[in-house]
Amino acid sequence: MTSVRPKLKPETPKAVTAWATATGRSVWLSAEGSWTEDARRLGVFIGAEAEARLAAANRQEELVTDPYFMEVTHTGEITGRETLRESMRAAPALGARP
Amino acid sequence: MYRYDQFDAQIVRERVAQFRGQVTRRLSGELLEDEFKPLRLQNGVYLQLHAYMLRIAIPYGQLSPRQLRRLAEIARDYDKGYGHFTTRQNIQFNWVALKDIPDVLEKLAEVEMHAIQTSGNCIRNTTTDHYAGAAQDEVLDPRAWCEIIRQWSTFHPEFAFLPRKFKIAVTAAEHDRAAIRVHDVGLHIRRQGGETGFEVHVGGGQGRTPHIAALVNPFVPEARILDYLEAIMRVYNRYGRRDNKYKARIKILVSELGEAEYIRQVEEEFAAQRPDEKIDLPAEEIARIHAYFAPPPLGAKPEVSNRFEAAKAADPVFARWARVNLHPHKTPGYASVTVSLKPLGVAPGDATDTQMEVVADLAEKYGYGDIRVSHAQNLILPHIALDDLPAVHAALDAAGLGAANESRITDMIVCPGLDFCNLANARSIPVALEVQKLFADPAYEEDIGKLHINVSGCINACGHHHVGHIGILGVDRKGEEFYQILLGGRADEKAALGEIVGPGLKADDVPGAIHRVVEFYRARRTSPAEKFIDTLERLGHQPFQEALYAAG
Repeated sequence: MTSVRPKLKPETPKAVTAWATATGRSVWLSAEGSWTEDARRLGVFIGAEAEARLAAANRQEELVTDPYFMEVTHTGEITGRETLRESMRAAPALGARP
Repeated sequence: MYRYDQFDAQIVRERVAQFRGQVTRRLSGELLEDEFKPLRLQNGVYLQLHAYMLRIAIPYGQLSPRQLRRLAEIARDYDKGYGHFTTRQNIQFNWVALKDIPDVLEKLAEVEMHAIQTSGNCIRNTTTDHYAGAAQDEVLDPRAWCEIIRQWSTFHPEFAFLPRKFKIAVTAAEHDRAAIRVHDVGLHIRRQGGETGFEVHVGGGQGRTPHIAALVNPFVPEARILDYLEAIMRVYNRYGRRDNKYKARIKILVSELGEAEYIRQVEEEFAAQRPDEKIDLPAEEIARIHAYFAPPPLGAKPEVSNRFEAAKAADPVFARWARVNLHPHKTPGYASVTVSLKPLGVAPGDATDTQMEVVADLAEKYGYGDIRVSHAQNLILPHIALDDLPAVHAALDAAGLGAANESRITDMIVCPGLDFCNLANARSIPVALEVQKLFADPAYEEDIGKLHINVSGCINACGHHHVGHIGILGVDRKGEEFYQILLGGRADEKAALGEIVGPGLKADDVPGAIHRVVEFYRARRTSPAEKFIDTLERLGHQPFQEALYAAG
C-alpha cells in the first residue's frame, strides 16, 4: 500500500493501476480492459465507469494486487499531487539500473 | 564461521516449504493480498514501486564464497544481474518475481541462508563491526555473541509480534564501527577484571524521531545478557505503543518514560525473573559458539612486505588504494580490505553477479574464505596478506571494484529512494551520483579526508542521514523534489544527530552547496589531519551553514 492515496473527485480523469500478482511489475488498465506494463497504453476513466473498473480490478486478486486510482489528464498524462511518484513508477526506463 | 546444525537446517527447510504453499495459494487467488502481506513480510518479501523486493539475511554481515556465488547466481537467474547490499548488512534483490521466490529461498537454504528476520515487527538481523575478528582494537570477536543473539531471537515466541521492528548491534572495539548508539539496543562488549560483559544502550534509532540510545547498564556479565535482553524486550513488548506505528519504536517508550524510569522497569523485570525463566547459558555453550569463529590459520608474516612496498612505489593508483581502503589487522603482515561498492556512477551498494563472483574467488584464493558486508554498503575481505594485496587490487580494479574511497566523500550511504522504494518521497541515488561527480578526482578526494555523506529519500532515514557528517534528506514539495541538508551527525562512539541547517534545496543546487561546505572546511582546517567533523565541531555549524547557502 502506498503511503498516500489522494481521494479523487468523480469527474476527475483517472487511470487504474496495480501490481501484477505473479511478478510484482507495475501494470495499468488499458481502455480495452486488459492489464499492460506499458503506462503509455493506460485507459482514462471518469465517473461511474471508473468506479466500476476499479471494483472489477479489486475482484481480480489472482491477477493484480492493490489496484488504485491514479490521477491523469483527459489525454492520459500523469498529473496531480502524486505526479512525481507515479511518473517514477511509469518510467519508460523501468528495469534499467538508475 | 557458524555452520547450521540439524535444527537450523530443518527450520529453514520447513519455512521454505510453508512459504511455497502460501505463494501457491496467493497466485491462485485463494489468499488475498491483505491475508498474504504479513506472511510475505515474514519471509523478506516487500512490494515496492516497480516490483517485489526480496531481502535476504546475512547474519552479522558474514558470507562464505559459496554463499556469495549463490547470491550472484540468483542475481543472474532471477533478477537483472545485480543485488543491493544494505545498511543492515543484508542484500536485497529488486526485481524477483513472486512466483520464483520459493525456488530462490530453496537455493538459499542449500547454502545455509534465508530471508527470516529481514522484515516485520520482530528482532531483525543483528549487525556488528565489519572488521570483527580482525580489528586491532577489539577485546574479542563479537560475531559469536551475534550468533548467540540470532539463535535466541529467531522465532522467539514472545517477541514475534512486537509493537514495531527491533534492531540490535554489537561491537567489541573502542572505535564503534557498528553504529550501536542509533540502534534499539546497542551492545558494547567490555572486559572488566578478567570478566566479559556488555555495556547496554537502549532506545537509539533514526527515522522521523531520531534518538541517541541511553546507557542503561554499564556492565552485564556475559552469562546474564540474554536474560537482560529478555527484560528489555518484555518492558517494551508490554508498554511499547501499538496505537500509532510512528510512536511504536522503543526509543519513544524510553523517551516518554524517561531514562531513569525505563531503567527502573527493566531492572525490576530482570530481578523478577523466576529461576525457571532464566536462560541458562553455560560457559561451555558460549565457548562452543566462539569455536565457530576461531581465527583463520594466518601464517606468520613479517610486518613489512617487500612485495607490497615495491608495488606501492611503482604504482601510484595502487598506493592510493592501499592508503585509503586498508584497515590494520591484529596479525602482523595482514590487512583488512574494503571492496568499495561506490565507484562513480553506480547506485551505492550495488554489485553485479560478475563482481560478486570476483570477490568470492578472491576470498577463496587469498582471504581464508571470509567476506563481510559493512553497514556502509561495502564488502570487506578481512584477512589478506600484505604480499597478496597487489594481486587482489588488480583483480578488483579489473572488475570495476578498485575505487579508493573508503569513508571518503564519495563512499556515501544511500537508500534506494524513489527509484525503487514505495515509501520514498524523493530520489536518493541520482542526487548522490551528482555529488560524487564533483569529487571524482581521487587526489582531491583523498585530500578532503574522511567525510561521511548519508542520503535518504524520506523521513524513514534508511540512508542514515541523521548520522552523516553531512546528511541529505529528500522531501516532496508539491510534486517537486527538495533536499534538506543536515550537518554534524556521526554514528561512532561520539554519536550525534545532525541538525537541519535551513531551507531545502532543489536537486540541482545540492552538489554545489556540498562543494562550498567542503571548500570552507579545507580553508579552515588546522591541518589536513583535522577531519571535517572535527573542524565542524570546533567552529560550530553557523559558518558552515553560511557557506552552504552562499550564492553559488
